[in-house]
Amino acid sequence: MSALAAISPRRRRVDRAARGTVFALTLVALVPLVLVVYYLLLKGLGAISVDFFTQDPTGNFLGNPGGIKSALLGTLELVALASAMAIPVGIGVAVWLVEYGRTGRLASIVRFFIDVLTGVPSIVFGLFIYITLVLTGFLDGSFAGWKGSAALALLMLPVVARAGEVVLNLVPDGLRESALALGAPRWRVITRVVLPTALPGLVTGSLLAVARAMGETAPLIFTAQATLATSFDLNRRMNSLPIQIFSDIQNPKAEIVQRAWGSALTLVALILIITLVARFVAARRSTLTA
Amino acid sequence: MTSRTWFGLAASAALAVGLSACGSSDSGSGSGSGGTINGSGSTFAAPIYQQWGADLKSSKGLTVNYQAVGSGQGVSDFTAGTVDFGASDSALKDEEVKAAQAKGTPLNIPTVFGAVTVSYNVSGVPKSLKLDGATISNIFLGKITSWNDPAIAKQNAGAKLPGTKITVVHRSDSSGTTKLFTTFLADSSKQWSSQVGSDKSVKWPTGTGAKGNDGVAAAVKQTDGAVGYVEQAYALANNFTFAAVKNSSGTYVVPTLASTSAAGQGLKVPADLRFTAINSPNPQAYPIASATFVLVYLDMCKAGVKEQQAKGVKTFLDYGLGAGQAQAQKLQYAPLPANLLTQAKAKVSSLQCNGKALG
Amino acid sequence: MEAGTLPRGGRSSLERSPRARLPDRLMRYGLLGLALAVLALLVVFFFILVSDSQDVFAKQGVVGFLFDNDWNPSRDQFGALPLVVGTVITSALALVIGVPIAIATALFITELAPARGRTVLTTLVELLAAVPSVVYGLWGVFVLIPNLKPATQWFADTFSFLPFVGGTVAGPNYFIAGLILAIMILPIVSAISREVISTVPPDHKEAALALGATRWEMIRMAVLPYSRAGITGGAMLGLGRAIGETIAVTLVIGNATTIGKQIFDQGYSLAAVIANEFGEASSDPLHRSALLAAGLVLFILTLVVNGIARGFVVRSERKQKVTSLAVTEAEA
Repeated sequence: MSALAAISPRRRRVDRAARGTVFALTLVALVPLVLVVYYLLLKGLGAISVDFFTQDPTGNFLGNPGGIKSALLGTLELVALASAMAIPVGIGVAVWLVEYGRTGRLASIVRFFIDVLTGVPSIVFGLFIYITLVLTGFLDGSFAGWKGSAALALLMLPVVARAGEVVLNLVPDGLRESALALGAPRWRVITRVVLPTALPGLVTGSLLAVARAMGETAPLIFTAQATLATSFDLNRRMNSLPIQIFSDIQNPKAEIVQRAWGSALTLVALILIITLVARFVAARRSTLTA
Repeated sequence: MTSRTWFGLAASAALAVGLSACGSSDSGSGSGSGGTINGSGSTFAAPIYQQWGADLKSSKGLTVNYQAVGSGQGVSDFTAGTVDFGASDSALKDEEVKAAQAKGTPLNIPTVFGAVTVSYNVSGVPKSLKLDGATISNIFLGKITSWNDPAIAKQNAGAKLPGTKITVVHRSDSSGTTKLFTTFLADSSKQWSSQVGSDKSVKWPTGTGAKGNDGVAAAVKQTDGAVGYVEQAYALANNFTFAAVKNSSGTYVVPTLASTSAAGQGLKVPADLRFTAINSPNPQAYPIASATFVLVYLDMCKAGVKEQQAKGVKTFLDYGLGAGQAQAQKLQYAPLPANLLTQAKAKVSSLQCNGKALG
Repeated sequence: MEAGTLPRGGRSSLERSPRARLPDRLMRYGLLGLALAVLALLVVFFFILVSDSQDVFAKQGVVGFLFDNDWNPSRDQFGALPLVVGTVITSALALVIGVPIAIATALFITELAPARGRTVLTTLVELLAAVPSVVYGLWGVFVLIPNLKPATQWFADTFSFLPFVGGTVAGPNYFIAGLILAIMILPIVSAISREVISTVPPDHKEAALALGATRWEMIRMAVLPYSRAGITGGAMLGLGRAIGETIAVTLVIGNATTIGKQIFDQGYSLAAVIANEFGEASSDPLHRSALLAAGLVLFILTLVVNGIARGFVVRSERKQKVTSLAVTEAEA
């Protein structure tokens, strides 16, 4: 039969059925997203109020459960410190990989370890910090916000380093060579030419790492733990949104469960904003370099 | 963006971090006029300790930072010295006493009596369902699987029980409430005693695990057909229906303030106050009621507690064993019977700081 | 800048003095130090994990720890089989449910969707990854579990002849945990599949179409076989994620230290037990070492799975290079 013969009805049916199934499964994939957003809005909006953001959780058994002020501020503090720890180190490692290590043996080993770090479950990071910093009572005392930040930083590091490496590799060699030819020392080339060119991509990578760290609960359970009052002391226990939500889910009272929905809505909104900003920065970069 | 801007960013980040790490006024130690004390442990007693904490905050400015993490962790934290006082629904076991003795002499101070209710959430089952120890044990062993089982129907003649399947809910964390409940079950059922035993944490033959009295209450509330054991305050706050349990005299008793108090009457307790009131011989007593304890070291400062915190803990205990006993009743906890109260108060007055009695 | 010239040992005017080379050296070795520190950190953590978990291995042996069905901390029994089984069951369910759907979305987005819809769909699928684990747990407990109970009970009753199906549907159970994990790994598997599928050389696809294949036949003949390695790699990365997931799982798996008899029973997982029991283990060295051992098992499992995944992805990248090389050669 010539290869150009008409397609049999059976084959046509199979084709249509298969394509239909693929389409249907794609819609199925989107159902959870729609449902999550729907319920977050449905159950969470009712909890939002000025009090919600300006009161600490009271932890009272009866009466007013309070708001989420300490949790929200705690998350911002913990993630800020974690970013301060992880982003410079991540970018530093990326710079080394691209500028100095390149294709060498040591660089492959470093890349391998970064890959390993990416795959480590977040609770194992919490365990690492727990056994090295908390149990040993490092710097007086058990749980501390900065230890939680350290666990989050471990999580963020490979994301920043990986994204950094990709972006730094995209900087054209021509730029580097021209700067070198003009007599600039290596370090100046890196700080004045390479990094600024790669900046939007680095920012994107860092913001994505931040978005990831904001939502993590497991590493904080046994490092920063929880506390009810708003605190700016990172050397003590600190509350955070994911921990507060985790605790509120396991509470029988309807108002506290509603508070969990409101906190979840807040957390998801924060993460979405950061993700959108990251994408916006990335899009701007591509239009600039196009 | 120039490298100058980079440095600027890095510098301000470092500054922000430094400022925040330096800490501010309200945190761990010394906020307000009365200071802050840290305690952790029993979720069973959390409602009343929080109430006492709220009272002390408004009257003396003392902040009580109590983490309801379960008796097991409370004992752990107390032994490790990460809190100023621990709280547990069961007095320290021998091994726990030995572990705690590394830092000094541990004291078990009973504070209030509470009741463990057998709460259920099944539409169609009447309030105060009559259950005896053997039946409850079989439910938690997984041998009785539906609400209209003959063993249940026999004790509740005339009630129309639905065929809903029973979902057991128990604790996933180490809990004094579990210890009290399983002590009762072990007393009522040989199979329970040999197969599972009684401890703060046991290998449950069936059921869902949840964290804290709160978690169990939440899980019971969410599942139709669920039965779980929660402290009375939680059951009442959530409008649970709970069972009338058969006590040692053969009467089916509903947990109330009166039946909880009755459990404590006429108890003979050893000098170190390590006792339990489960299956009390008193005919009006609710069988699954017992005291909850605060754990402190006899010489707190030698054990590592700062002096201001030691004083704060004594204030807390003085209040709890004094005016706080009346507050307890409002949350359906029974005050300590007179003889126990005297013994407890004596222990509190013996508290020392580096050899000197605490003021 | 020096004005001197060379051959008799002077310095070139373009060369810098040793002092001026210092910042360069600082940066180079400073950054190298940073990279080495990261390596060292990971190695140190691994060793601490191994050494601190020795207690329980000394007591029960590695095989005993992994295969004894008796997790009873208060009696100093640490047989982690229920945890391992729970981890395996939920991850397997996540793969079975999640991977086909992820591949379907990848196929749809790259092959079948109209160009305008592509970015929208891609963004939507990636938004699934933006939802944190604890929010999935919240949604699972209050939306998924109660709403799926009738359907899953019907399934359990109707299909009770199947192995591991039947009985009463407990509230939280293995199946719900597997379902939520499937949702959580979808974005990763889909993203990698998309990338791999989009690198299929157009020549392969056009050849199939030119021979008269329908769209679906083209996908089956040209796209899927070519992307198999890469998609498998993506699925394994998803598996690695599912194995280590803690919070969502502990909220919906039921935290029961027994091995459930069917997929709608309660269960436990390695990650969940660490989160739940660490508090009371802090002053019990044996219990603590058992939890660390569970963490070590998790760590090694994810290492192995991710290693295998990388192998597959590298293989698929290599194949792509070879194919494009072959194509260029053929065209030359």
